Amino acid sequence: MNTKDRLFGIIPLDFRFELTKFKPVRLLFKSRWFPLLALIINLFVFVVILLAGLLGGYSAGNYNFGIMIVWILWWVMLMFVLVPVFSRAWCMVCPFPIFGDWLQRGALFSVKQGKPRGLNLKWPKQLKNMWVMNIGFLITTFFSGFFTVRPLATFILLGGIILLAFLIGLIFEKRTFCLYICPVSGFQGLYSQFAMAEIRPKDPEICKRHTLKTCYLGNEGGYGCPWLLTPFNFRKNTYCGMCLECFKSCPYNNMAFNLRPPGCDLLVDEKRGMDEAWKSFIMLGIAMVFFLTMQGPWGVLKDMVRAASMKGYLVFIAVHSAFSLLIVPGIFLIFSFLSRFFSGAREVSLKKIFVNFSYTLVPIGLGVWIAFSFGIILPNGSYILHVLSDPFAWGWNIFGTANFPWTPIFTHSLGYLQGATLVIFYLFAIGYGIRISRQTYPSDNQAKLGWIPIFSFLTLVTAAFLWLYIG
Amino acid sequence: MKRNEIIAVILMFLATIGTVLGVFTIEKYRRDKFYTVELIARAPNNGNWYPRQLKVPFGKEARILIRNIETVSHGFALPDFGVSVSEIKAGEVKVVRFTPDKKGTFPFMCTVWCSNEHLHMTGELIVE
Repeated sequence: MNTKDRLFGIIPLDFRFELTKFKPVRLLFKSRWFPLLALIINLFVFVVILLAGLLGGYSAGNYNFGIMIVWILWWVMLMFVLVPVFSRAWCMVCPFPIFGDWLQRGALFSVKQGKPRGLNLKWPKQLKNMWVMNIGFLITTFFSGFFTVRPLATFILLGGIILLAFLIGLIFEKRTFCLYICPVSGFQGLYSQFAMAEIRPKDPEICKRHTLKTCYLGNEGGYGCPWLLTPFNFRKNTYCGMCLECFKSCPYNNMAFNLRPPGCDLLVDEKRGMDEAWKSFIMLGIAMVFFLTMQGPWGVLKDMVRAASMKGYLVFIAVHSAFSLLIVPGIFLIFSFLSRFFSGAREVSLKKIFVNFSYTLVPIGLGVWIAFSFGIILPNGSYILHVLSDPFAWGWNIFGTANFPWTPIFTHSLGYLQGATLVIFYLFAIGYGIRISRQTYPSDNQAKLGWIPIFSFLTLVTAAFLWLYIG
Repeated sequence: MKRNEIIAVILMFLATIGTVLGVFTIEKYRRDKFYTVELIARAPNNGNWYPRQLKVPFGKEARILIRNIETVSHGFALPDFGVSVSEIKAGEVKVVRFTPDKKGTFPFMCTVWCSNEHLHMTGELIVE
């Protein structure tokens, strides 16, 4: 990366502000109580969510703690703050793998050396990518018409994920579940490339000289990277679950938690592949389908998603899958082909162009999802006050807000907020897109010419979403 | 280290099993102390009032906890005692209080058009 490079001519892309240089932060990250305590608190919240889901059964979702906290609060927090600002901070405190970790390590707090418990098998090499997560997440969205409105469906989904995480922990090594299976993990990994925070080694030379590589192998201070990564050469956020074990196991305090300009990882040409490209397409496709079915005015689509008739539901699944898996990538392939054609760089493979430029969809996709999330939180956010006081719809009033009426806020400005969000993230996509073009094509002139079709694609996609949200 | 490990495990059990036990204990105490009976509101095609027959003691304040667990609004009326709730929205919980001053069997019903079977959404209150 060019160290003089500035995004929009303002933000130096190599700017980093290390938060762990402050002693309290460093001590916090070195403590074995962090993030364990946060995780246990989160576990408590999820137990309440599961209970509310189970007890809520087939009742109304708007007054159910499980539905409101997961699909309104958690989702919006994820899209607004956790992923775009703090990368995979959710994974840091996610309670899903706690039982698997406990079983494997034989300890919750302490560091136990030696062979982990369980079968400890290695995940098949052919599946060491995002494909399982891609398909898993897409399949999950088939049931969006149920788990966003029916508490029992949310219970089944979350309970199933927790059970699966535990079973995978019994069979496969470390955080195999988080790395290759968890449906929530894939898009967080993809969009965390845009995040304004990162975990990186401070001084690569220290890592080079440290032959023991305790961040990978572990020591008495911390476990070897549970995400099966090599923290000493971290260059991208995608697969780092921010468990902070590398801070604890590094004897030289050489790991840093940095703030940085958003989107730097998009320029890191490492492990770029079709799996991540398809994750971008799927996320974009799902966002479009979710908007049409959840926030659009078309009742017939809502009926299809909530399976009012089996035929309609099957049509929804087929169209939704085809759109995300084939149509969006197909259109992008045409524009990639045009990019190659315009650039005149026949020596650059179409695959490389297709994959590289798919990373321009990361800011676009994130912007679309943030805009979509405005449409969730502003009309429905007030329900959260109710469910916090009465989580099981039993007539409790813990915080005195159980009778807080449904109060949509700023919904008159919803379209403007969504539109502004789309435009801002479009600008980021443009800012990074031209740089990716320079990485992809050998000469600057070819990069400029090859950029034109991709620029057009991004503009068309943004215009389409602008039309949907505010048109 | 060992002490911290024990604390961590205890906290984990508190967060899971402790939470479940705590929630049900609190609710049992609350229902025993504050309410006479719980009534679940559902349209007839989804199961109707549950239970359809309520029993309350004569001369003692009765507190009925009505939970609408459906996605449509319901209402509640017990005309013989002048008790009603005009609307219980989807997911809402309402409490009605009254002191039965006569013995016998009295009808209660839904007062909001909730489904095509709305007129059958009725039940009985027995004052003993």
